[in-house]
Amino acid sequence: MDHSSRPLVDPAKPFFESNHTRRSIIASYWLVVLLAVPLWWTTTSIDRLSLPTSRVLAQQDKQLVFPVHVCLSTQESSLAGPTATLARVVQQLLDAEREMQERSGVHIHTDLDCDRDVYEVEVLSGTNQPTIEGKRLRFEIDETQVMSAMRLTDTLLTLLAPYVTLRSNNHQTERVLKYAPRYRLALSLLNEDATSEHSIKAWDVQGHLSKHISPILDRLSVLHNFTVESQIQFHAPLAFEPVTLQGSGQEVHGLTQEHLTVFVNSAEWTLSSSVSNDPVIHFILFVPSAKHTPLHILDAAGQPVASSAFILPQWGGIVVHNPNSAISESTVLVPSELDLMFATFRHQLMTLLGVPELSKNIQSNQSLTDWQIDALLRRRAIENAQGSKDTLRSIVQLVRQIENMPVGHDVKDDVQGSLTALEQTYAAASSSLHASIERSKEAITLASRAFFNPGMLALLYFPAEHKYAVYTPLFGSIAAPLLAAVIRELMAWRRTRHGAQQAGSKDAKEKVD
Amino acid sequence: MQYRHYNTLNALLLLSLCFLAPVWSSNSQSAVQNGGGSAHTNNWAVLVCASRYWFNYRHMANALGMYRTVKRLGIPDSNIILMLADDAACNSRNRYPGCVFANQGRHLDLYGDNIEVDYRGYEVTVENFLRVLTGRMDPSVPRSKRLLTDDRSNIFVYMTGHGGNEFLKFQDNEEISAFDIADAFEQMWQKKRYNEIFFMIDTCQANTMYSKFYSPNVLATGSSQIHENSYSYENDNDIGVAVIDSYTHYVLEFMEGINKTSQTTMQDLFNSYDVDKIRSHPGVRMDLFHRDIRHALVTDFFGGVAQVEVLPQLSTEEPIWSHNASMASPVVPAIDLFPLTKGNITEEVQDVELTGDKTAVPHPFALELMAAVQNSTSQRETNYRTVRAWASAALLVALVGWVCSRGK
Repeated sequence: MDHSSRPLVDPAKPFFESNHTRRSIIASYWLVVLLAVPLWWTTTSIDRLSLPTSRVLAQQDKQLVFPVHVCLSTQESSLAGPTATLARVVQQLLDAEREMQERSGVHIHTDLDCDRDVYEVEVLSGTNQPTIEGKRLRFEIDETQVMSAMRLTDTLLTLLAPYVTLRSNNHQTERVLKYAPRYRLALSLLNEDATSEHSIKAWDVQGHLSKHISPILDRLSVLHNFTVESQIQFHAPLAFEPVTLQGSGQEVHGLTQEHLTVFVNSAEWTLSSSVSNDPVIHFILFVPSAKHTPLHILDAAGQPVASSAFILPQWGGIVVHNPNSAISESTVLVPSELDLMFATFRHQLMTLLGVPELSKNIQSNQSLTDWQIDALLRRRAIENAQGSKDTLRSIVQLVRQIENMPVGHDVKDDVQGSLTALEQTYAAASSSLHASIERSKEAITLASRAFFNPGMLALLYFPAEHKYAVYTPLFGSIAAPLLAAVIRELMAWRRTRHGAQQAGSKDAKEKVD
Repeated sequence: MQYRHYNTLNALLLLSLCFLAPVWSSNSQSAVQNGGGSAHTNNWAVLVCASRYWFNYRHMANALGMYRTVKRLGIPDSNIILMLADDAACNSRNRYPGCVFANQGRHLDLYGDNIEVDYRGYEVTVENFLRVLTGRMDPSVPRSKRLLTDDRSNIFVYMTGHGGNEFLKFQDNEEISAFDIADAFEQMWQKKRYNEIFFMIDTCQANTMYSKFYSPNVLATGSSQIHENSYSYENDNDIGVAVIDSYTHYVLEFMEGINKTSQTTMQDLFNSYDVDKIRSHPGVRMDLFHRDIRHALVTDFFGGVAQVEVLPQLSTEEPIWSHNASMASPVVPAIDLFPLTKGNITEEVQDVELTGDKTAVPHPFALELMAAVQNSTSQRETNYRTVRAWASAALLVALVGWVCSRGK
C-alpha cells in the first residue's frame, strides 16, 4: 500500500515518450532488419562451389604424345648387319620428321629389341611390296641402304602417323564424325517409286551386314558401341528432276554435283527413328524409278562417272543402284550386287569413322589391320584429350564470366573426375594405348556431363536496374522513416547533452561567481 | 499481372530511385576464322513464337512461315526445333480448324499435314529455350526436343513475339533479355556447339535484342530499331485478326524466290529490306561474323545444303523476286508494341506514330552504318542513365532530409 513511493503518472507526459522506451522501439526495428539481412543474403545468393581452376589451366599446355616402339628383325643371317644399319638410319630419318610425328601425336622409336608386344618389321630380301600380318610388317629390301631406309621411313610414317592434319584446323578433317561412345547405323533401301518395274522389294540385309559390316564393328568395339537399324521404303521421290543426257543409243539420267548436295530429300524421306540421342550414320541404297533409270553421277564437265556412290561428310553414304533389267526380272537384290553395295557401305563407314586408308602399295589379308586400328585409337585419344581440355577450360571460364551460373556438387565432382581421367590418359600413353583411350573416353564423357549439367543453367539475367526497381518499393519506404528516426534521435540526444552541458557550465560559473 | 508488374517497373525506372548497374565486362573469345565458304556439314533451325492468345495469331504464322521455308529448303524435321507458345490452328475461335494462314486470301495453309511442333503451349518458356540452346537438358528429354549440334553446325535462330528494349516477352509471365541470349550463344561457342549462327528477330525494338551479343560467327538481323515498333502486314476478315507481321512477310516473300541450290547471298537478303514497305528500320549486325556476307549464301542457314566429297560448282543465278503483287499495304491496326496498356509512361509510347519522317534513309547503305551509330547512341544512353541514377540518389537523400526536418 505504498503508492506514495511511486511517482504519479503525469498525463501530459505519456510513458512511451520516455527516451528509453522510444529508443528501444527504434532499436528493435533496426534489430529485426539487421537480423533479417543474413537470411535474405543466403536465400538470394547462388550456390557456386569453387572449381579446380589451376589444375584445369595446368592441363592446357599438355599434349598427348604416344611413344611407339618399332623393332626390326630378320630371319636371314646375311641381313643381320644391314638390318642394324637400317634401324639406325631409319631412326635418323624419323628424327628429321619430328615435327610431323608431333602433329600426329606419336614419337616413333626404332631398334632391334623385339621381345615385347611391339610393332615388328621383318626384313627380308626380295622386291615384293610390303605386307602386313597383325602387328608385323614384312618389308623386302634389295637396293641400297639409303633407298630402303627412306622407303621404310615413309611406310612407317604413313602407317603410324596417317593424320597429318590432326592438330591443325583443317577442312579435310570434317568428313569424319565427331567422337561419340555410341553410334546408330541406319540402313535404308529407298525405291523412288515401287510401282515402276525396276523396284526392289527385299534385300538380305542381315546376312550381308554380318558378312561385311559386323567384322568392322567388332574391331572398332573398343571405341564405339553400334546399334543397327534398317528399313525399306517404297515411295521416296527426289526433290529435283535429274538432267537427261543422250548416251550411246539410250537415254541416260544424270545427277550433277549440285544435285548431289540436295539429293537427300529430308522433307519426304524418314531416314531414322528418333529413339535415342546417339549420332546416326545413314546409309542409303537408292533405286531410281523406271523413268529415271539409268541414273549416273556426273562430273563437273557433265560426263557420267564410273562411281555410283558418294558420301556426305559427317552424315553418311549413298549408293545409287540401277537395276539391270536384262539380267534380273526379280524384285530382290541378288547376292553379288549386294556384296558390292555392302563393300561400298563398309568403305564409306570406315571413311566416316576416320579409319586411315591403307596405302595402295601395302598388302594385307585383313580388311582392317592392327596398324590402322591403333592409329585410329591414337587419333581418338588425342581428340578426346583435346576435347576434354577445351570443355574443362570453357566451364571454368564461363563460371568466371557469368556470375549467375550455379555450380553444384555434381558439376564439381564431374570436373574433378574428368581431370583425374585426363591425367591418367597422359600417364597411360607410354604404357598402354588401350588404357589411355579408355581413360580419355571417360574424361570427355565426364567433362561433357559437367558442361551439360541441367543445374548449370544460369538464372535469368536481371539488369541491376530491375533489381533496384524490385527492392526500392520495399526498402525505400522502410529506410526513410527508419533513417529519419535515427537521425532525429541523434539530434535530440545531442541537444539534450548540449543543454545539460550548458546548464552544468552555468552552474559552475555561478559557483565561481 | 505481368502488365501491372511491368508498369510498376517502368514507372519506378522512370523515377529511378536508385543507382545504376555497373557495366558488365564482355571479353569475347578469340575467334576461329573460316576463310572463304562456310565449313558446315549440317543445318539446324530454332524457331520460336513466344506469344500466346488468339490475337497473336500472326506470331504463330510468322514462325510457321519460317518453318515451312527452312523445311522446303532442306532442313529435316529432326533438325528443326519449333516452339509455338499457343496452338492457333486448334483454337476454338479459328474458323478454319487445323489451318494457319499467313495471307489475306488464305492461299497457303502453313500448318499442313506434316508438321512437328517440338515445344507447344506452356512448354515454351525462357528456361526451355535457354536449355535448348545450351544443351543443358534432363537426360530424359527426347531427341526431337534437343539441339544436337556440333562445331560444324550452322544454326538459324528465329524469334517473334512482343518485345521491348532488350527483352522479348514469353507467354504472358516472363521475358528473356538480350543478355540471356548473348550468354547462351557464348556458352554454345565455348562448347563448340555451332559453326555459325544467323539470328533473326521480329518484334518491337528488335534490334536491341542482338546488341549484347559478343560471341564470334554470329550474324544477326532484326525488324526494327530501338524506340520503334514492328507492325503487322495485313488482316484477314474471316479469321478476324492480323495474319502476319510486315518484316517477316517480306523476308518470306524474298525466300520464295530461293531454291535449294540458289546462290543468293545474305547481302541480297539485306538489300531486299525496304523501309517504306516494312514500315520499320530493319538492322543488321555483322561485326561478329567473320565471312563477307556477299559470299555467305542464304542456303548456308536456311537450307540443308550439305557438302559432298567433290565440291559443287557455282553456277545458276536465281531470280530474287517471285511475285510482287498486292504491295499496297492495307491499314493494319495491330502493333507489336509490348506494353500497350495504360500507365506505360516510358519511351515506347512516343514512337507509336508511324515514322514518316525517317523513311528517307537509304536503307541498303544505312544498314552497314547502323552498328556504328548504335555504339555512339549507347554511349549517350549510358551517360544519361548515370545522371539519372545520381539524380535519383539525391532525391532519396532529400526525402530523408525532409522527413527529418519536418519533425522539428
